[in-house]
Formats: sequence, C-alpha cells, structure tokens
Amino acid sequence: MRVNGAAESLDVEPWVSLLDALRDRLGVTGPKKGCDQGACGACTVLADGVRINACLALAVQYDGKEITTIEGLATGDDLHPLQAAFIRHDGLQCGYCTPGQICSAVAMLAEHRAGMPSAVTERSGELDEAEIRERMSGNLCRCGAYNGIVDAIKDVAGQEAR
Amino acid sequence: MDFLRPTTWEEALAAKADRPEAVPIQGGTDVMVELNFDVRRPAALLDLGQVAELRAWGMVGGFCRVGAGVPYTTIIEELGGPLPGLAQASRTVGSPQIRNRGSVGGNLGAASPAGDSHPPLLAADAVVEVESRDRGVRMVPATAFYLGVKRSALEPDELIRAVHVRPATGPQYFSKVGTRNAMVIAVCSFAIALHPGERRVGTGLGSAAPTPRRAYEAEELLARELDWQAPLDPALLRRFGELCAAAAAPIDDVRGTAAYRVHAIGVMARRTLTWAWNDHLGRRAA
Amino acid sequence: MTTKYAETEPRQDAVKHVGRPVDRVDGRAKTTGEARYAAEHRYPGMAHAALVHATVARGRIEAVDTEAARAVPGVIEVLTHENAPAMKPAPKTSLMNLSSLASGTTVSYLATDEVHWNGQPVAVVVAETPETARHAASLVRVAYRELPAVVDFAAEEPNASPQKSSVLQPAGGDKGDAVAALAAAPVSVDLRFTTPPEHHNAMEPHATIAVWDGDRLTVHEGTQNIAWLRAHLAQRFGIPERAVRVLSPYVGGGFGGKGFVWAGTLLAVLAARATARPVRLALTREGVYRTVGGRTPTVQRVALGADGDGDLTALIHTSVAMTARIGGMPEGVVSSSRHLYDAATIHLRQRLVRLDLLANTAMRAPGDSVGSFALESAMDELACELGIDPIELRRRNEPERNPMDGKRFTHRMLREAYEVGAERFGWRERDPRPGSMRDGRWLVGMGVATAYHPSLTMPADVTVRLAADGAVVVRCALQEIGVGAATVQAQITADELGVPLEAVRVEIGDSELPAGPGAGGSAQTAGAAAGVLDACRKLKESALALARRAPDSPLRGRRLDDLEARDGGLYHGGRGETYAAILARAGRDHLEAGGGTGMLKFLAKTLNERRRWVKAASGAHFCEVRVDRDTGEVRVSRWLGMFDVGRVINAKTAAGQLRGGIVMGIGMALTEATQVDPRTGRIMNPSLSEYHVPVHADIPRIDVHWLDEPDPTMPLGLLGIGEVGITGVAAAVANAVRHATGKRVLDLPITLDKLL
Repeated sequence: MRVNGAAESLDVEPWVSLLDALRDRLGVTGPKKGCDQGACGACTVLADGVRINACLALAVQYDGKEITTIEGLATGDDLHPLQAAFIRHDGLQCGYCTPGQICSAVAMLAEHRAGMPSAVTERSGELDEAEIRERMSGNLCRCGAYNGIVDAIKDVAGQEAR
Repeated sequence: MDFLRPTTWEEALAAKADRPEAVPIQGGTDVMVELNFDVRRPAALLDLGQVAELRAWGMVGGFCRVGAGVPYTTIIEELGGPLPGLAQASRTVGSPQIRNRGSVGGNLGAASPAGDSHPPLLAADAVVEVESRDRGVRMVPATAFYLGVKRSALEPDELIRAVHVRPATGPQYFSKVGTRNAMVIAVCSFAIALHPGERRVGTGLGSAAPTPRRAYEAEELLARELDWQAPLDPALLRRFGELCAAAAAPIDDVRGTAAYRVHAIGVMARRTLTWAWNDHLGRRAA
Repeated sequence: MTTKYAETEPRQDAVKHVGRPVDRVDGRAKTTGEARYAAEHRYPGMAHAALVHATVARGRIEAVDTEAARAVPGVIEVLTHENAPAMKPAPKTSLMNLSSLASGTTVSYLATDEVHWNGQPVAVVVAETPETARHAASLVRVAYRELPAVVDFAAEEPNASPQKSSVLQPAGGDKGDAVAALAAAPVSVDLRFTTPPEHHNAMEPHATIAVWDGDRLTVHEGTQNIAWLRAHLAQRFGIPERAVRVLSPYVGGGFGGKGFVWAGTLLAVLAARATARPVRLALTREGVYRTVGGRTPTVQRVALGADGDGDLTALIHTSVAMTARIGGMPEGVVSSSRHLYDAATIHLRQRLVRLDLLANTAMRAPGDSVGSFALESAMDELACELGIDPIELRRRNEPERNPMDGKRFTHRMLREAYEVGAERFGWRERDPRPGSMRDGRWLVGMGVATAYHPSLTMPADVTVRLAADGAVVVRCALQEIGVGAATVQAQITADELGVPLEAVRVEIGDSELPAGPGAGGSAQTAGAAAGVLDACRKLKESALALARRAPDSPLRGRRLDDLEARDGGLYHGGRGETYAAILARAGRDHLEAGGGTGMLKFLAKTLNERRRWVKAASGAHFCEVRVDRDTGEVRVSRWLGMFDVGRVINAKTAAGQLRGGIVMGIGMALTEATQVDPRTGRIMNPSLSEYHVPVHADIPRIDVHWLDEPDPTMPLGLLGIGEVGITGVAAAVANAVRHATGKRVLDLPITLDKLL
C-alpha cells in the first residue's frame, strides 16, 4: 500500500479495517474514527483519488492502492487550497471531523469537475450552495461549522474556475 | 478467519461452493459494519473486489446487465439513460463515500427492506442472475428474490452475478422520504416505471413491508383504466395512490410510524405518477 | 441607544485584536492532521481495552463466563467484579470543593455484582489489539438475576417528587397567585410539552489512555474539565493530585458530554493498574451511548394568561425531568421563566423522577434549551390567540427588572435584538395567517423565539511570561473543545500587553499548567480572560517598576493607568519605551506574572453579585421553514440570530459558536431523540445512523449578528456564548411550523408523522 506517497508494508489480520490499519498500525491518525459504520465521514480518505469511508474498507482490499489522507494534502509548508480556505472561513471548531471534511471536499470538487450529478442536480451544472451541501452530506460536523465549510469550498471552487 | 481472494468469477464460485459459510464482501459498506461491531466474525470472508467481471455492465439480449459489483457512482454516471429509476435511487444511497463503494449486488445480498435500489428494480421488472459452481445459473425475478427481512432467495453456495434490467422505454421516477435531507435511511420510498409499449406501469415500495414489494392491484388498475393518450384522470390518480398505500404493510420503528408510511406511500405514488405522466405526454407532444 | 452590530464592522477603538475575525491559532494543526486527539498517542507496550455492557436494567450478576474470551489469542486480562482491583467510592458532593461534582455516576465499577442500568460496564477485556479486545468482549457471557426496574419516564412522570433548590439554582418560586390569575384571564393558553432524551454526539467518541509509572498516573483524554478529572482520579485511585497528569490539548467536541468523569475513564485507569501496561480504551459510538449520560427528557406545562392587550397576568411553568438512582444532574428546566416576561403573577415548579437508567448529564444549555422550547412555544400560541404579532407580544411584556424578585439586569437588550433582527430578516413580509404563504408544494412559515442563557464566570489561574526577545507565553490549563480557547486569550493578551498577536503563544490542555476553569456553563472564556487581564496588569506593573528605577527612563514618574500598552512597550503619548529596552537595561531576560482569583474569594464575589444582579446572554431567533404539504417534511430555509452577548472577542469563532448552537437546536427541533425501550431501559438507537444529527443538507445559511455592547460586570464586557445559541431554537422552528401549517407541535422532535 502507498500512503501519502510512501510505500508502507503491513501485515494485518483480514478483519482489520483500513481505518484501524492507518491509525493504529501506521500511526497515520489524520483520518478519524467517529462511528465505525460509514455514518459520519470522519474517516474519509482518498483511495486512488476516490473518496471512501476508511472504516468500511478492509485493509487487505487495498493492497497495492494509493491512499491519500489529510496528512498528504499539503506540499511541504504550503497548505492545500482547501486547508487554507477552511482556516480562513473558520470551517471547523473542534477539528475532529475536519480531516474527513477536507478530504471529502477535495474529491467532491473533482467529481463535480468530471460532471457527476447529485440528488439535487436538475439541469445546470453550477456548484451552488445547495449542491455543495448535498455533496458534502456524508460528513457530519456536530460543532455545526457547516456554513464555514460551504464557504471554504465555494471559495476554492471559485478560484479554480478563474 | 480466512480471507479468500479470488481473481476470476470461476474462482469465486469455487470458493463459495467449497466454503458456503464464507461471507462475500464487495464494497464492504454492509459487511464491514457487522465486522466492526463484532455482530459476527465469519469463518471466512470472500473478497469479490478482484473479480473484474463483477464491476462491468453491458447489453445482453436486450437487457442491461449490471454486474453485482458496479458501484452506485458508476450507475449514476453511466446508466442514467437506460436505467433512470435506478440511477435516481442511486443518487440518494447513503453518502457519496458509500456510493463510491456500495453496489446493487451488495444491496440485494443484504436484502434490507430499506435498500434504495429495490423499488426501481421491482418497478422495472429486474431479474437477478445468481450462480453456483455446481448448479449453474438461476435467473430470479426481483419479485421472487426478497423473502423476508434480510432474507433472500440466494442459496448458500450461490453468488449474485448481476441484475438484468430492460432499458427504460418510458419515464421512471424514484421518491424517498427521510427524516433529514441527506444521509438517510428511507422512512419509505417508492419507484415507478412507465412501460408505454405494453400499456403498463410498474411500481416498487421500499421500507413499507418486511420485503420490498410491488403494488399489484395498483398496477392492474392502471393497466385496466389508464388512457395513454389523455391527461391523467384525477380520480384515477387518487385511486392509484390509495391502492399503492393499501399494498404497504409497514411497522412502527425508530424511523417512523406505520400510519405515516402508508400515507407517504400514497403521496409518493401520486407524485411520481404525475411526474412520469407529464414526461410521457411531453414526449408524445415532442 | 446606538446599536453596533458588528460581525463585519469591528469596533474602531483602542483595541487592536479583540473583536476582530482572527484565524484560529490551531487552524493549521487541525486542518493538516497534526492535531492529536486522546486516542492517537502511542506508548510502548500499550494494550487495548473494550467494555462488556449489562443487558438488564437492574439486577445482580449471577455468573460471568470469561473462558471463551480468555481463550482468544492476544487477550491479556478480563476484569470483572470478581477479580478487579478496588476503586474508592465516588466522593460526596460539596460546593466547597467543586471537583467533587465531577462524578458522572456514583457507581463503583467492577466492585460489586450490582447492575444499575442497561448498558453498565460489567467486564473489561484487555488485549494486544483493539480488534482482539472488541472481539473477546463479545464472547463474555454474563448471567443476571433481574430485579424490578423503573425505566419508563413517561409512566413514572405522575410520581415525580419536588426538586430541591440549591444556592445557585432555585427549583421553583411564586409571585402572587398565578393559578387564580390564570383562571381569571380573559385570554389564556395552557399547554403540555414533551422533549425526549438526547445525546451530545461529539464527533470524537470518548477515549482514554492511562499510563501508570509506580504511583504516578498519566492520562490522555479529551475532557472539558482537566482540573476536575485530575482531582477525581486522584481521589478514586488514592493518590495525591500532584501524582496525576491529565493531557488534553485537543478535545473532539464536548457539549457537556465530556464535563464529568464516566465509566470508560475510570476503567481504563483501573485496567492499566491491573495489567501494569499502558491501556487505551477508546469507546465505540455505542459505548458512548451506553456509558455517558445524555440530556434528560422533560414533560412541561406552560400556562399563560393575558388581558386583551397582551399584558401577561399569569405565567405558570412546571416541569418534570429525570435523574438516576445512581446520580445525575437536576436541571433548571423552568429557569427562563424566571427572567423573560413581566407577568403580574408567576408560578414555577420543577419536579424529578428517579429512574434505573444511566445518570443524565449536562448537554448544551441544560434546562434552558428545553425550557425555552416550552415557554417560547406557549408565547407564540398566546400571540396567535390574541391576534398580536409575536414580537409585539414579547415587547409588551419585556421587564425592566427581573420579574421574580426585582433584581436589576446588568445588561438587557432584547428589544433592540428583536427590532434590528426583524428588520434584517424581513419579518414585515410575514402574512400572519397560518398556511397563507406558499411556494409550490411548500408551505412557508416564519417564527421567532427568544434566546436566553445566564452568564457566569469561573476562576482561573494564569501566568504570563514576556521574554526579552518579545515572545509572550500565556499558561493556563484551558480546554479546547472548539471554541478557540487559545486564540481568544492570545488576542486579549496581545491587546493588553500591546504586542503583536504572533508574539503570543497560549499553552493549554495540560494539568501541569496553572488551573483553568472548565469548559462548561459558557464560562471558560470569561474566567480565563479575568486571569489574563490580572496577570497582564501585574506584568506591566513589574515592567514599569523596573523602568522607574532607571533615571533616564521616559516612564519615570508615570503610573500604569496613565500608560498605553502598544508597539511592544508602555507609552504615554509619544514617550515611552519597549519591554525589550526595559529588560535590557535591567539585565533581565524575562518578566513573569500570575493572575487569578482564589476559589473562596471567587465564590464570595459570585454570591454577592447574584444577590444584586441578573446577567445573561440573550438574543432573538428568526426562522423560516418550508413544510411539504403532503409528506410533512420540514426544511429550515432561512435563519437569522440577533444576539446580545456583550463584547465579542473574536468575530470568527464567536459566529461559529452561535451558529453551532443553532445547528444543534435545529437537530433538537426536527430529528434528535434517544429512544429508550420503556420495558428494558435499553437505548435502541445508539448510533449515528439511527440518531439523526443535522447534516450539511439540513442547514441553510445562518446569519448571526450581535449588538456589540459590553456587559459592565464581566471581564472585558464579554458574556459567554457557547450555550445561548441553542436556547429558543426549537421553539423558533416549532413556531415557524405553526405558521406554515396551523399545527402546534408540542412534542419534540417535530417528525413527519406529527404534521399530518
């Protein structure tokens, strides 16, 4: 498995989830455990660029795959634009859901660019607030920083459009 | 626990035949919850993730054959044309993360009455292709697939290979009521599929009975009385809603009351038929 | 009075950082994964624990079969009441020792065969990996002799007994004869409300890492009260407080759920002692529901009588809530009714039932969040009865002094909040007739409700150190549960010392630091601010004293009150000098000062103040909903909150706190309920898939604003903001739903079936 660009070799029992493998075996603790059943999104990571719930994936199924976690988004000291935007728009409070929110947002913007519709998509492909909310609904934030998160994503989507 | 990792369909069937107690896992969105919560620790896990055939779809004998491992995301992106009802339902399954991993095969395997893919499959007369090494292929109509809460017609040595659905010849709609706007298990759901060539309308009810089911009497009513050239008769629409509601046999649970579900099925039946009918007339006019 | 409401218009006076929308100082750590939460630390040889929960509500354990669990390879120990080392019993509570309030329950875990609630931990498995511990825990078999249990709140409600008053919280009260006045009132409403149990569901499930080194204990845990946790662990495990170190730099959400000490914490420490290994016990989400208390359910009656003009002649508010036989916090459910309306007569009572359930605990605005639902719904219904605009009804009954006892308000701007809020929200567009506003299949409704939360502070010890190179370090064992604890104290320090914000580092989250206030009761920021102000003043005094010793110092002969702290030093007009210059001349490399109030002095001051004043954060909620006329689905489509929260320190984090309260209130209004099986006392939906908190798609843009008027009695004039946001929210939603549909929903949450 490659985690954030580095090859990691790991011997785990078949029942170990990708999330537990990352957090407890590799010490990659950016992905968080909030529910262990895909209901909160705190564990969201990118597997070959696709967002998944790491708690609902078996580590052994990801043999040879490229996993990107929140730790892998910044380039040196330069934050990923979404990381910077989350800080700027205060799209966080306690910070526990934040890595999942940001990973999810990275993939969400890519999905939207690729033309993927959502449950609220009617005709236009514009990434308005309703679209962002629908597409981010797999990531709970109990602190209620939703407005700031939507603002951060809108901000970055706008930068990309320019 | 053994971890079986076939790379071809034949190997998968052999593994399942040899180890019928092995629990198949594809995207993991159902099985992993049970593993994480130690609801069960099966003697063996059968990982179907390497079986490439399961992740493909194609046209076979006039049917759209959707591999059991095709994720919802692919259905949304690629099958909105031929399977609009299923694609609509797929957009509402869990979260985007779950849609990237979860599949119709998994939904069928779990046979939860709340599974979002069941109503559109029922409305569109889907057939489930299951197979075992020793007894070969069986084609099970969706209507015969669901046997009870989390029980299906799948035999222990069988695996789900694909679902076969005829490409839509008329409008299809899916509707779902939940307690919140997204990330929600349906309080109840409803799908409709118009089959204008056969002058027939298919229905599917979700979370409204121990198994997903069709509203046969409602379908028969429309087959008998629907004038396919004319605007919808409001009285007929109302009776359709009533018969769909009558087909429901729900329970009270943490998500909603039985009485509410019956009511909502009626509402969604009327709504989806109205939408579908508007499309139908629009298409004829165009 | 001029009103400055200023998320976007910071105050333009002497302050430089306070009031501004400053980015969080820990934003980078939290957005890069660098921030480590309790479960994320690793120790050599660390073992993992998992709990076995009782499956009966009350009874005795007859037998525990741990054989299968012990047989699992990797299992180190299975602790039960038969073999676990003893813990000391929970302390008797005393107001003279506030940390004695820290017990979540009074149960001595694994000490007896008694089961007190369905879900109580009855065994702990310790294993080499978390998966092994969890799996082995599922193999422990426990046989019980069941005893009769009282678990059905609704059935017990008629048997409630009167709640006792405390110094801080009166349980009832009367002003005149409200019963007679109600009977005589020309217009009245008399309504019965219910609210369900709820759970905090902080995103981080509770986790503890316990490490013993001889008789010294180190604990990593996300807690809202480091000082209480340390004192409690010392007491339960019979070691001095100084032998306990609690590390809690990041807390993944609290909302009250991490304010007290619960089973998981104690059992992690116990397991570490029993196995002589560092032990991590990370609760599953279900484990949190089973072992950490939630909000009490309530039944409330609010009856209001008014004359034809809408002047209140009678206000009756009574409540029944729960505690458990094994502990729990009696809530001040009717508290808002003591303060909000100038009724001629008032009758308030609170009663309690004691159940064989897990103890309830504080959850965001205990008492006020549920009490305001009933009171503010009833006010709206009365407005409907009277045919008066609900804002106008509130305006007419706005008191000049506290209605129950005539005490003065330190600060009260509800009239202004409504006035400005209504203008911004567009309240004028509201057609008061129910069901009159439509948008396609959606019925549109607009509702208002008042937010109100009493303000208090807690004492904090703070040290501030200023080095010759300009670096400032503030030290206080604060808890960062998302409020921006370090950020706001850095802002205050920078302004007080006149140094750049970047020069200030605030160290928090460690019991080795000077003791901080808990993050509860919306009291942390004000309490810490008082300590910071005190320490900064003393530090400047020291700097000035040093400077005055030098014959050539421009500060010679000056008093601190004549000086301005700016540009890294102290100045009088254009004359002054930098701290660096003062330190260099004196040959010192730093200055340090400590601030804070002792507990006794603090209590005396608090009680003295309470005799004279009533102070609170307050506000006006404006809510717009859309209700599907056929399915009853409710969507909150617009929200505006206009608050009076005194001085705002950080416009960014303050807005986040207020919005967060509103979001949680929307959940309370529409979806949230912990479902307790009335036969077995078992929670039936202990998961985020069955307990529905709001998701992104449920939350519209929430406009929050504040009237930026400092409270004269609070440090920097700030009023705590963590809880006021949620108060009144459920009522605002219910009132908007009433307007949209004509239906008054009295029982939370407002689910689909209640609107048909």
